[in-house]
Amino acid sequence: MSHGRLEQLIKMINQIARNNPCNGDDNASAEVVLNHVRKFWAKPMKQDIIAHLEQGGEGLDPVAMEAVRSLQAARKTESS
Amino acid sequence: MLNYFDPKTEHTGAGSAIDWTRDYGTPAVDSDVQVSLDIDGVAVTVPEGTSVLRAAALAGINIPKLCASDNLEAFGSCRLCAVQIDGRRGMPASCTTPVAEGMAVTTQNAALAKLRRNVMELYISDHPLDCLTCPANGDCELQDMAGAVGLREVRYGFSGENHLQAEKDHSNPYFSFDPSKCIVCSRCVRACEEVQGTFALTIDGRGFDSKVAAGQDEPFMDSECVSCGACVQACPTSTLMEKSIIDEGQPDHSVVTTCAYCGVGCSFEAEMKGDKLVRMTPWKGGDANHGHSCVKGRFAFGYATHKDRLREPMIRDSIDLPWRAVSWEEAIQFTADRIRDIQTRHGRDSVGGITSSRCTNEETYLVQKLVRAAFGNNNTDTCARVCHSPTGYGLKTTLGESAGTQTFDSVMKSDVIVVIGANPTDAHPVFASRLRKRLRQGASLIVADPRHIDLLKTPHMGEGIHLPLRPGTNVALINAMAHVVVSEGLEDEDFVSRRCDPEAYRQWREFILLEKNSPEHMETITGVPADSIRQAARLYGEAGNGAIYYGLGVTEHSQGSTMVIGIANLAMATGNIGREGVGVNPLRGQNNVQGSCDMGSFPHELPGYQHVGVPEVRARFSAAWGVDIDPEPGLRIPNMFDAAIDGSFKALYVQGEDIAQSDPNTQHVEQALTSLECLIVQDIFLNETAKFAHVLLPGSTFLEKNGTFTNAERRINRVRKVMAPVAGKEDWEVTQDLANALGYPMHYSHPSEIMDEIAQLAPTFTGVSYDKLERLGSIQWPCNEAHPDGTPTMHEDSFPIGLGRFGLTEFVETEERTNRRFPLLLTTGRILSQYNVGAQTRRTDNQVWHDEDVLELHPHDAEERGISAGDWVGITSRAGDTVLRARISERMQPGVIYTTFHHPGSGANVITTDNSDWATNCPEYKVTAVQVEKVTEPSSWQQRHQTFGRRQWQYLEQASDA
Repeated sequence: MSHGRLEQLIKMINQIARNNPCNGDDNASAEVVLNHVRKFWAKPMKQDIIAHLEQGGEGLDPVAMEAVRSLQAARKTESS
Repeated sequence: MLNYFDPKTEHTGAGSAIDWTRDYGTPAVDSDVQVSLDIDGVAVTVPEGTSVLRAAALAGINIPKLCASDNLEAFGSCRLCAVQIDGRRGMPASCTTPVAEGMAVTTQNAALAKLRRNVMELYISDHPLDCLTCPANGDCELQDMAGAVGLREVRYGFSGENHLQAEKDHSNPYFSFDPSKCIVCSRCVRACEEVQGTFALTIDGRGFDSKVAAGQDEPFMDSECVSCGACVQACPTSTLMEKSIIDEGQPDHSVVTTCAYCGVGCSFEAEMKGDKLVRMTPWKGGDANHGHSCVKGRFAFGYATHKDRLREPMIRDSIDLPWRAVSWEEAIQFTADRIRDIQTRHGRDSVGGITSSRCTNEETYLVQKLVRAAFGNNNTDTCARVCHSPTGYGLKTTLGESAGTQTFDSVMKSDVIVVIGANPTDAHPVFASRLRKRLRQGASLIVADPRHIDLLKTPHMGEGIHLPLRPGTNVALINAMAHVVVSEGLEDEDFVSRRCDPEAYRQWREFILLEKNSPEHMETITGVPADSIRQAARLYGEAGNGAIYYGLGVTEHSQGSTMVIGIANLAMATGNIGREGVGVNPLRGQNNVQGSCDMGSFPHELPGYQHVGVPEVRARFSAAWGVDIDPEPGLRIPNMFDAAIDGSFKALYVQGEDIAQSDPNTQHVEQALTSLECLIVQDIFLNETAKFAHVLLPGSTFLEKNGTFTNAERRINRVRKVMAPVAGKEDWEVTQDLANALGYPMHYSHPSEIMDEIAQLAPTFTGVSYDKLERLGSIQWPCNEAHPDGTPTMHEDSFPIGLGRFGLTEFVETEERTNRRFPLLLTTGRILSQYNVGAQTRRTDNQVWHDEDVLELHPHDAEERGISAGDWVGITSRAGDTVLRARISERMQPGVIYTTFHHPGSGANVITTDNSDWATNCPEYKVTAVQVEKVTEPSSWQQRHQTFGRRQWQYLEQASDA
């Protein structure tokens, strides 16, 4: 995957997190991000952001990071 | 479509039996009180307030008339419609005389006949007698009336003082003004005032010297005239006459269809001679436009027969090679082979399609079906991605349905009208005329826009508040307004408690009351004085009926979706939902943006906004389509571009869109398009995107096919074929051929069959059929068992999600910020005469109004940089640079500059960035940080673009020569 595309995905997911602060409740916020990504992102985009998390997730905001972790866990459950 | 008036069944004439081809003399009146009278011995019952002229017309009695028309208020100047009324003196004009209970009217006797002949005699004594060679011959009310009154001689002779030598004005490209034929009935002047609301025309002089004058007695083109055609439509003689009729003669037949320009979706009569379109006349029976039009729909149809139309399919192996004209069969097979080959080598998900918001519902439905069923993935998207996708997201989240809540007519019951980030007089002109009418009747106007838009200059309007906010601060503004509404107790508590989710509301209320959302705090962000925001919020909050209209100035931001949610919150908090006169009203850009979204163009939603992740939904579609549906959303347009550059996305089928011109960050788009192995473009012209294509499939215009469009008020209107497609196929037939070549069978013989399939699958379309459309004229969805004739006003009793959901709308500043290097903010928009990427309007005489995009900047910013009007200026952003000519304008606030994107060479989108809405990836067209400076030559992109474009045109010409 190209650097540009990954940058874009990181930017997008951070943006979703920043736009949904849920009155400061980070758990609720991460949940919103997770649901949004599940509902609107294409499969390769989800795979790529999970792969990035597995590489350390550099550039991801804490809330976004948490959401990707949940996404990763959900994927594992689905595929097992 | 003719409805004949049947006096047995329809004495009131109210509603259904109106024959839209007739002129009833004065407008219909709405009243609960019915009045009965006797006209020439016929008993007639009409609503109170109806004129005697109209009452007679409804009873089938046609009183002669000249200055009266049923789209204008009665004027009483020609005196031809005089009648006698028992017990009243003299011969009153029937147009200005309202009916009264028990009234007995005589419309014809010797005395009336003599009076009418005398009136006509005077008119004709100052009128050229060139009827046989007059362009209005066959369609002249003066001639008809001379016949009706039995005029046989003109005793005054023709040698007296007259206007026969009056000078003609041919300045407008579409119509001529010949004052020698004018009878000074004032219909044109009144149409300009009452119907269009521009007030460009007047009667100059007094008595015998009276004449129609445009502006300050100047040529039409130099006046404020916006060329809407209302005056031409109103003229009873050939004084104001379409040049096409002067050149071609009167049409011989006509078909009612729907305009393919903006989201207003006006109904027109396409008037034909053989298979040639000679005139588009606004259709009075059209529920969206009621007989009004704008310069685009009325006159700019010449592109349909322009020499640039693509007339045969073409293919090539590389974009550096000339085109090869081939048969449809070869082109379709070539395309199918390429797609299958790419999928074999790069996977099923390596291809996708873009549906067109200019094509019909049926065509759009078919393209997304092709992608999901024949390509086998959900990589389908539409240009709504770059305009109103936040509307879909925001309204679905809050109100439960991705659409506006009202009819256009609803505005006539609004008391306070809020317009945010929309410029209706340019982009939705026919709706703007109705809005202006309401403002003249006394409704208040609030405009939130960085620019001082023309709506604020509505003649004879009442109160108007302008909130000139900084681009990118919409959410701050709407939060501040909501803060005032809540903190000052202007909420509709009853509505909120009955109709809204209490927990979501509690959270929102707590959030919105925070001091950070107060107008005083937000003032530093929006640049709008707190007092103005408070004043506006109070006006809206205290209004009987408050309506919000918004456009791309709301959606095309990094917080587009948040802003839509904010608007819906405000409407719910004040109870402005669920009846006429209120609501949340997105003004849609292209003709079928609503329809393309409804039809499942988005990668995450099947037709009817049903998410692909829901197993029951997929099961129904799988059963109907005979394939498994991918449960994962597909790529959105910007994701497709990123994936193309990345090498994982290889083929794209684009129907009727020009992404290379309309999408942001042009150089990025061009890089994506050149990365594709196979780009298939189906369009009527070699547009900018087609220059990067490997397959060209000639498209058909709206005149060449059957189908439906859905306008901004959810109104489904029929599109009817008036001429054969120039390349032999309607667009849906091409998609069908491609599906069959890919091995996925499609066998529709008419778009009505496609609509029947849509009705089976989309719950809001269950009751829609072509038969019903024929019967009702148009239908506003939802149309189903609960609403068999459609739904003019949504959410009257409940929301589709049960309770309305307030959403939290934290203001988050855009990442696109000004700094020392890029100190100005560029915002982009549209102009009246051009449409979107201009592919259509640039190929008409609309070019005379706007033949290049210019950069508007405030005198202060211009002076600081030594820029004068007409100078070439270079505009540089983080994404790229381009060069445009400067126009100095105080419509802009200092620090904000503006341009349009109608001409490809302008490169307006070379400058816009790939920042986008957080929820939908709708590009942030409205905010780009830039610097401008005086330059002497086009930008390097413009030079490259010109060379590339020239070469691609040569490739096309070589194919045609072969």
